[in-house]
Formats: sequence, structure tokens, C-alpha cells
Amino acid sequence: MNFKKIGVVGGGVMGQGIAEMLASRGLDVLLVEKNNEKLDYSYGMIETSLDKKLEKWGITPAEKKLTLSRISKVTHFAELGSCDLVIETISEDLEAKKAVFAQLDQVCPSHITLASNTSALSLTEIGSSTLHPERVIGMHFIYPVASINLVELIRGLKTSDATFEATKNFVEETLEKKGVTVYESPGFVSTRLICTLINEALHVLEEGVASAEDIDDAMRIGYQFNRGPLEMCDRFGLDSVLAALDGMFREYGDLKYRPAIILKKMVRAGHLGTKTGEGFFKYDKDGDRL
Amino acid sequence: MKVLVINSGSSSLKYQLYDMTDESVLAKGLVERIGMDSSILTHKPTGKDEVVEVSEILEHNTAIRKVIDKLTDSVHGVLSSVDEINAVGHRVVHGGEFFNESALVDKEAKKNIRALIDLAPLHNPAAVMGIEASEINMPGVPQVVVFDTAFHQTMPEKAYLYAIPRVLYSKYKVRRYGFHGTSHYYVSLAAAEFLNKPIEDLKIITAHIGNGGSLTAIQGGVSVDTSMGMTPLEGLMMGTRSGDLDPAIVPYVMNKEELSVSEVNSMLNKHSGLLAISGVSSDMRDITDGWEKGEANATLAFEMYEYRLRKYIGSYAAAMNGVDVLIFTAGVGENSAIVRKAVCENLSYLGIEIDEELNKIRSGDPRRISTPNSKVEVLVVPTNEELVIARDTFRIVEESNA
Repeated sequence: MNFKKIGVVGGGVMGQGIAEMLASRGLDVLLVEKNNEKLDYSYGMIETSLDKKLEKWGITPAEKKLTLSRISKVTHFAELGSCDLVIETISEDLEAKKAVFAQLDQVCPSHITLASNTSALSLTEIGSSTLHPERVIGMHFIYPVASINLVELIRGLKTSDATFEATKNFVEETLEKKGVTVYESPGFVSTRLICTLINEALHVLEEGVASAEDIDDAMRIGYQFNRGPLEMCDRFGLDSVLAALDGMFREYGDLKYRPAIILKKMVRAGHLGTKTGEGFFKYDKDGDRL
Repeated sequence: MKVLVINSGSSSLKYQLYDMTDESVLAKGLVERIGMDSSILTHKPTGKDEVVEVSEILEHNTAIRKVIDKLTDSVHGVLSSVDEINAVGHRVVHGGEFFNESALVDKEAKKNIRALIDLAPLHNPAAVMGIEASEINMPGVPQVVVFDTAFHQTMPEKAYLYAIPRVLYSKYKVRRYGFHGTSHYYVSLAAAEFLNKPIEDLKIITAHIGNGGSLTAIQGGVSVDTSMGMTPLEGLMMGTRSGDLDPAIVPYVMNKEELSVSEVNSMLNKHSGLLAISGVSSDMRDITDGWEKGEANATLAFEMYEYRLRKYIGSYAAAMNGVDVLIFTAGVGENSAIVRKAVCENLSYLGIEIDEELNKIRSGDPRRISTPNSKVEVLVVPTNEELVIARDTFRIVEESNA
């Protein structure tokens, strides 16, 4: 089974990134949002992202046009019935995701693979909202989707071998990204490890052990991280990191996942990181550090 | 014998059908946008109208089936049955060190072409798809592969090795391979024939300059050096490729601009050359137009292009301790009298002298553009890579039948 036509539900940051990456690899994409305004906004953001790549010589004007031409805007789930694979990328809200999967289950014939881009939630539970949980799988892409060549493939309890094999093959052969197999567990591998690191960095900051700048430099330069833990937190979105930590704290009941107080304070103040221009550091509207 | 010549790209496929009794082209065409639901097949039978068909062609297998349908079509076709195709010749970009000449396709050949995907990730996979699709659609028909690199396998070690740790050559086969070999070979042979001199006695420099460009020094009929390297990026300034540059620039710019490997590759291959300097076009016609109008950026682009081309000619004259024949071919070489004139004007130290009137003649035939006084014969020879592929295919299949 070769996935050629792919539905992407949700046009947020991850949805945009996934849609753009798929289209740039020559696949046809149906991008779904609730209404035309949101669709136009998402499409515009993809265009902006391509313009940035053009500026950095990563693509040519012709390649930009070709990529955009492969993305169709869709507001009704019914149109997804012709896809080979649908990837859900809405916000990390279990009930909302279950509602989306219940709808997808109705419009997509049972051979179509349904994937969720969740970074931490239970695939078994998401799958339980469908009549065919065997075709439900987790595909956790990591931001920025175009340049991070890793996808966590999460098997729910009922995910079939056929679904898993087809998805892994798609990720590794077509998308040329490494697929890491993960059995369902809160936070999987990447979210669990990175959020624990970020949380510990927040404790270090709270305790006044070092400045935000020095904490990041220590890890970035000392241990060859591309970005330090606090800038990573800004880029993931402080609210997303808080939600992930809250979820893991609840599921595992282990104190090591308890979110640092400073994180809650910042989220309440609306300092959500890159997307609001301010988190532990300040950013311009293109997301570059000031 | 009828030979089908196929040139497979990742999402396109060009073809020509030859009748080898007189080397005439019976039909040619092109399939574009393979992998999409609106692929375009353009079919041009010789002496008949061109037909264009849009349909869903998801992979090379379907593409070749559609091409065969067209070739045997009752209205647009030129064959009564697919059985009339006696052999298929494929263009393959990279033959590595496995192939120093064209070869019959067998298990071993396919294995080697696949092994070279690592060196030519953009080109060889498409060739494999074309070969396999031909096997499915024309079972039992012998196939031959013709390589862009094969002609240059005669280069001596001193020309093909880079001055870097030798373990990189033994481990990864990092070396100069050179490209456009089929074209350099064809035009050098055609030139010797035109001059009525044995090629063994000649020192020839061939300038294949189109959108991509390479120069080859040919001594005694074999390639002794060529300007493209392990990939087609090295050497001359091209339409969108940088050609030679200080390799230290690459890590420096990657660091400054935070570029990934794929971005820096794209920068050097698609955003450099004439396009980068002129700021407007990668097409030599636009550049010479701008130069004639006195546009500063186009003028600089033209001057750089000509200067670097001329330096390479000088270095190959030095490599062979002389030059008897200079050949221009491919898009720019065959059509741009301005480029030829500018290059040759500053090669008077080699005794080159061109006749401006002869240089201006446009023709599809090999022709001389130098004066009788010129110490070097300067020729324009239109290239024909498809014909070489058809000839090699015909010869190799005949030999294997014998």
C-alpha cells in the first residue's frame, strides 16, 4: 500500500508543517479546517514558510509553486473518503481528538489508515472512539517537521500489524524519516524525556542557580543540543509543555513530572513563547530570537 | 532492427524510436509529471501530427505501457506490434567504476546500477525504474545501458583523484567521474570525421555547454580530463550551478546562515551560476540580451561565464601540451555565436582565429568557424546523445546475438 493522497486535519503549527512537508515530497494533501478563514490563514502560513525557505535557497520559485499546488483546502470531513491516509493534528485535547476520530471513522472506508499526531495521549483511547481501532496509529512528528527526520510511531493496543507496517514503510521510504517504534505509554519516548529535561531546567531557573541564558548555553554548547531547554520550551509553546507535564504527572503519579510553578505562572501571564513573542526569551514575528 | 531509446527521470520519461537500417527517427516523445493524476504524454511520430494526452500515470511502468500504446496506435502509431521493437537502450547517469562502456542489462548490471544510487541519488533510481518497467512491458527484449560517465573512465589517476585523504577514495569511491560523456564522445568522433583525420592523432577540447556545462580534454580519442567531478556541480559556471569554488566556503556559509546540507546543496545547484550573478535569468539568451543592452549584472554574469570557460580551455591545452581542435556543442555552444566569439577572441595566444561570418551561420550540421590561418580548428558540432545510445544498443545486441 502506497500512500499518495493524504488528509491533514487541523491547520495549526503542526498541521501546516506536516501538510507542507508532504506536499514538498510530491504527495497530494487535503488540508482540513473548520472554516474558510482558518483555512486561508493556514495556507498563508505555509506560503510564508515556503518563502523563508526560498530566501535561504532551500527551494526554487518553481518548487514553491508546485508544493502549494498540491495542497487543497477542505472544510468538510466527507471529502477525506478518497484519501489513503488521514493525519489528525488538532490541539492536545483527548475529548476533541476522540470526536474527530469518530467522525473520520464514518467518512473513511475501513482500509484507510487514521493517524494522530498526538505527542502524549493514549492511542488506545483515541482508537476506542472508532469502529475500526485496528487502523488507528500514532504518528508523532516533531517541530520543525521539514527538518526533523524523526517520527515516533505509536502502536495502540489494537493497532494491526498491517497498519503499522504500511505506516512505517511510508515514513521511512516516502518521507525518508526515521520511524521509531513506541508502545503506548504516556509521553512516549521523546515527549517524556524532553519535558523532564525542560522541567528540571525550570527548577534550576526558579532556584536562582543560573540565568536562562547560561542554562541554555550550558546544555547547548556543553552537550551539543541545537537549542537549550528553555528556548525549546519557548518554541514548543509553554502551554503545550505544561499540558504534557500535567498529563504525565496525572498518568504516572510521579513527582518528577510535576510542572514547575514558574511554568504555570508564565502561562497564566500569556507568555507562551515564540508564538506570543515572549517566553523565557524574546522573539520577533518571524520567530527569530531578539 | 528497431531500437527504443529511453531517458528516465524521477518524474519524466523521454523516448525516441530508431530504425537502425538508416538511423532514422520513427517517433519521439515525452511523458511528464509521472506520479500525478494529470500526467502529460506528448507523442510526435515523424511526418505526422503531434498528439498530447493527459491521464493518470502513477509510475514508470504505466508510462512505458502508454508509450507502447502510442507507438502501436492505429492512427498515431509507427509500429504494427510491440514485437517490432528489437532492443531498448537506456541512458543512465552514473556508471561509477563498474562501467567503462555501454553494457547489456543482466542481473549483475542491475545490481551495480543500484549500488551506485548512493553516488547518484537523484538520477540512478529513475534509470532502475525505467529498466524494470521495460522488462515488464517488453519481456524478452534485450536492453542496453549507456552511461554519462563511461567515456571518462579512461582518465588517468592523476586527473581523477582529489588531493584529499586516499581512504575516502577506497572507502566511498570519492573521485572525479565526469558527465556528458556520451556527448563528448559523439562530437569528438563527428569532428574527426568532418576533418577527415584519424582521431588518434588529434588533441581535442570539447565544450558541452547548455544549462549544465562541462569541458573534456580528448587525446588520441580518449578522455584524459574533464571539468565535472564526483557530481555535475564542479567545473564551469553554469545556468544555476556555481561550478568551482573554494570548498571552505561551504562550511563557512552553512555556519553563518545556519543552512542544512540540503539547503546548501540547493543553493549551489539551483540558485547559483548565471542566475545568481545576473539576478534575472539562468538562460544565456537573456544574459547576452542584457549584455548587449549594457545591463551591469548581465554583463558581469556574461564576463564571468566567458572568463571561466576560457581559463578551462587554456588549462586543457596545457594538460595535453597543445590543442588541434576546439568543439562547441549543446544549447549554448551550438546557438550562441556571441559566447563563441568572446571566448575565441582571447585565445589568440593559442593561434585561434575565428571567421565572424562563419561563426554567425546557424545550422544543424557540423561546421568550421575558424579561418584557414587558425592554428586550431574551431568547430560547432550539434550533439546527439540519443543516436549514440541507439548505436551502442544496436551494436551490443547484434554482438550478443552473434
